[in-house]
Amino acid sequence: MSKRMIALGFEGSANKIGVGVVTLDGTILSNPRHTYITPPGHGFLPRETAHHHLEHVLPLVKSALTTAGITPDDIDCLCYTKGPGMGAPLQVSAVVVRVLSQLWKKPIVGVNHCVAHIEMGRIVTGAVDPVVLYVSGGNTQVIAYSEGRYRIFGETIDIAVGNCLDRFARVLTLSNDPSPGYNIEQLAKKGENFIYLPYAVKGMDVSFSGILSYIETTAEEKLQSNECTPADLCYSLQETLFAMLVEITERAMAHCDAKDVLIVGGVGCNERLQEMMRIMCSERGGRLYSTDDRYCIDNGAMIAYTGLLAYAHGLSTPLEESIFTQRFRTDGSTCSLEGERIHQQHYKQLGKNHNYVRYAVL
Amino acid sequence: MEVQTLSSPWQFTCDLEVNFESDEKAYIVYAALNVDKELQPDKVKRVMSVSNGKLAAHFEAVEARFLRASFSAFVDVLTLATRTIEEFSPEKGL
Repeated sequence: MSKRMIALGFEGSANKIGVGVVTLDGTILSNPRHTYITPPGHGFLPRETAHHHLEHVLPLVKSALTTAGITPDDIDCLCYTKGPGMGAPLQVSAVVVRVLSQLWKKPIVGVNHCVAHIEMGRIVTGAVDPVVLYVSGGNTQVIAYSEGRYRIFGETIDIAVGNCLDRFARVLTLSNDPSPGYNIEQLAKKGENFIYLPYAVKGMDVSFSGILSYIETTAEEKLQSNECTPADLCYSLQETLFAMLVEITERAMAHCDAKDVLIVGGVGCNERLQEMMRIMCSERGGRLYSTDDRYCIDNGAMIAYTGLLAYAHGLSTPLEESIFTQRFRTDGSTCSLEGERIHQQHYKQLGKNHNYVRYAVL
Repeated sequence: MEVQTLSSPWQFTCDLEVNFESDEKAYIVYAALNVDKELQPDKVKRVMSVSNGKLAAHFEAVEARFLRASFSAFVDVLTLATRTIEEFSPEKGL
């Protein structure tokens, strides 16, 4: 048997720093991470978040190697999040990878964070050709694979859905531990009255900033006048935001003639969102693929796995080009080669005369 | 840090030297940090070099606050790169 290919991956684009070890078949050998948790009522800022990552990244590397039972010699490539994300936190992973690459004489692979979420979701769930809803604190996109890249069918035109939830949690001064979204979800379960909120679907896109402004300004007076409880507000906000997401996902499915949906990203572990999406999918004769917090929240393994796919297809990033970038579109330059292979097979099965264009720029 | 009295706009300068006692290690840090360019090249310039096992970094800025921000961020990643070498160098027999 030939040696398994192994990658070490670093993720630190937001408030989580994670280091993961995976093999090419998607087996996760280790995936430790540490989250920067701010006090209730506060968000995370770039500089402070970077300091958190600086403090935790090296112990995480040790822990990832030890848990996986490997030595640096066993590693084929070092993968890091090239973007999108916050600049200073992204730099931490990039610097460590550049140093390790020279110390251990291993190649580097820069990875698109959004594509990594999708690839991780696909390998974990086994979803073949789903419409992907990518929802997190920084991103909200409906994505489908077409002609060699992931194409964005719809997205937020302002803030991400997770950002809307996180910022509302600050209004209620809910705890950020383990995450503000989780605490909103728990409180929402106790909600009884639905409060009307603006509903902002614009064609294939969604807008959340107006809803946030509305609920921020009305929450205080509604709570003071006992018109509703914090639980009612959490419940109403979730129902409204998630209904919008289900609507644009369904529209993308109609466009692509797809039946299945894969939800990835941190908000993807919200069980109410999963439930709403599952109902919609079952009405269309499809199914929902989702993962739990181990995989849908940012982690090192998703970067390792996606980078290893690229590396196995002959791609790597020279040290001098191992930059990081705050803006990096899902459909911008990275293409999933594994995705392409699967899709080629898929289209062959469907007997479609599919004219394949290969984009292999990383 | 010093303030130059010349009429050049790059009035604020600062020099940092770290002795790695090895050109190889100094170069690893140099190569790792040289990838990231200064974000505001019209306000801060950074030049690095390696010699005699030492990494030298020279900063020039048009205002003290740019020099401070750039220098401080640089020291953070320099420390990270150094610690990474200390902890994961193959010489340690890891």
